[in-house]
Amino acid sequence: MKRRVVAAILCSLLATPALAVEDLVSGLSQDTVEISSNYTGTDITVFGAIEHLEDTGANDIVVVVRGPGTDMTVRKKDRVAGIWINRDQAKLFDMPSYYYLASTRPIDRLAAGDTLQRYGIGLAHITPGRVASHHDPEPFRLALVRHLQQQGLYGEAAGGVEFLSPTLFRAHVPVPASVPRGQYNAEVYLLRDGTVISAQSTPLFIDQTGLERRLYNFAHNSPLSYGLSTVLMAILLGWISSLIFRNND
Amino acid sequence: MEIYLPIAEMSVHWLVVLGMGGAIGFLSGMFGVGGGFLLTPLLIFYGVPSAIAVATTSSHITASSISGAIAQWRKRALDLKMGGVMSAGGLAGTVFGVWLFTYMRRLGQMDLLVSTSYVLLLGIVGTLMLNESISALRAAQGGTATPRRMQHTWLHRLPLKVRFRESRLYISVIPPVVIGFFVGILSAIMGVGGGFVIVPAMIYLLRMPTNVVMGTSLFQIIIVTAATTMLQATTNFSVDMVLALLLIIGGVVGAQFGVRVGARLRGEQLRLLLALLVLAVCIRLFLGLILPPDDPFSVSVMQ
Repeated sequence: MKRRVVAAILCSLLATPALAVEDLVSGLSQDTVEISSNYTGTDITVFGAIEHLEDTGANDIVVVVRGPGTDMTVRKKDRVAGIWINRDQAKLFDMPSYYYLASTRPIDRLAAGDTLQRYGIGLAHITPGRVASHHDPEPFRLALVRHLQQQGLYGEAAGGVEFLSPTLFRAHVPVPASVPRGQYNAEVYLLRDGTVISAQSTPLFIDQTGLERRLYNFAHNSPLSYGLSTVLMAILLGWISSLIFRNND
Repeated sequence: MEIYLPIAEMSVHWLVVLGMGGAIGFLSGMFGVGGGFLLTPLLIFYGVPSAIAVATTSSHITASSISGAIAQWRKRALDLKMGGVMSAGGLAGTVFGVWLFTYMRRLGQMDLLVSTSYVLLLGIVGTLMLNESISALRAAQGGTATPRRMQHTWLHRLPLKVRFRESRLYISVIPPVVIGFFVGILSAIMGVGGGFVIVPAMIYLLRMPTNVVMGTSLFQIIIVTAATTMLQATTNFSVDMVLALLLIIGGVVGAQFGVRVGARLRGEQLRLLLALLVLAVCIRLFLGLILPPDDPFSVSVMQ
């Protein structure tokens, strides 16, 4: 998925006619998001400018932030002998773990479906890198998008890109508390008359810090001592509490 | 104030989690059960991933059972020897249970297995306890206390007989070991201590005196849940220490109050209340199996 998107961006850059001098510059309000103990989600701002703007048509900006790819299993329940059990399933490989899109207009009015598909623009056009299923994978893909949307991990905001001047724009991207850690990519597309004429990609890192990070590392690097510490903590707290409450007997 | 859980990778409100731990701890102290059969579904309902809910609940049960067990130990209401024998079976069961857990999850039928075994187990245990406690209460009201008969069943013909002094029993070690093993499996795959199985098994199968049942079951629960926590931490990395800490602080305080309330109630009344609670959870889970789900699709991240 990521590789395809990168290839598409490269293609678009190479295909940009030398005459079209419009170019994009973009940046992020922060290039790392650090998750600490009081982290409840934040907003990052993607901003940018169109350079050498010639007013020859309707310019549209699309901002897409993608999380690291993950492999997910989608299962469908069916009624068997009165009980609802998991029957059919589809494995969708390399789906973005996070996806947020902001655009100047509703995306189906920006470009033709195959263009959107090529760049992976819009929730309808996020496709897995590979599918393993005996069934039509589309309902499973739709279910996955719906689930992640409910968790706030997928989102789409038509009109989420605001122009501060004819060339300056910005978009707010929500980063909820449940986002997975890893390398994200913030992509900015400049579209005119249904074609992508410029694209930019900036990495964004989301990571845990401080005590959270140390606990996470502790759990994964020395699981035996981590488990033992948890058990000891449980025993100690149980014992301390019965000492405290003893006097009340 | 929201607090971030490093292993579950989510934010929770600390007061909500503290309250959950306290409520479950109260029931645990009152009935001498771990309360995992309530806490695990509660955490999953709150949005904690089920693997982390199952594993972290184990450490909460360890802590709330400790304070309960010490309280019982001071009253000398504990059969250490019986607890040790059952724990030996329990440890073997835990290892087998973690293996089964991984296997069923690979098949994608973990939820079905967990729900159906919860429904079957809670249904049977709840009905038995309800029946027994109602007839015991009726007998008490009629003024004729039912005498405790020492019935000799096939259980008493098994070899390897041992004397359990505190329980006033001379029985084979095989039934306690088998019960312990079975409960160890439940601990690993359901995230429960298994008190709702051990307590009736001790009363109806082993025919232990009711006064040592609470303490002994708590003892066995501590050993088995500590082992489960260790196994889950080393195989699935699914124990969240911050979540555990919050649940435990709420739990140990709740358990102390639970023990006090429990001591004031009669055995039959306690069992009637526990039976109703067990049946309520059973019905809730049963409805989950037969009612059409809101969304037939479910999504899980492949490990």
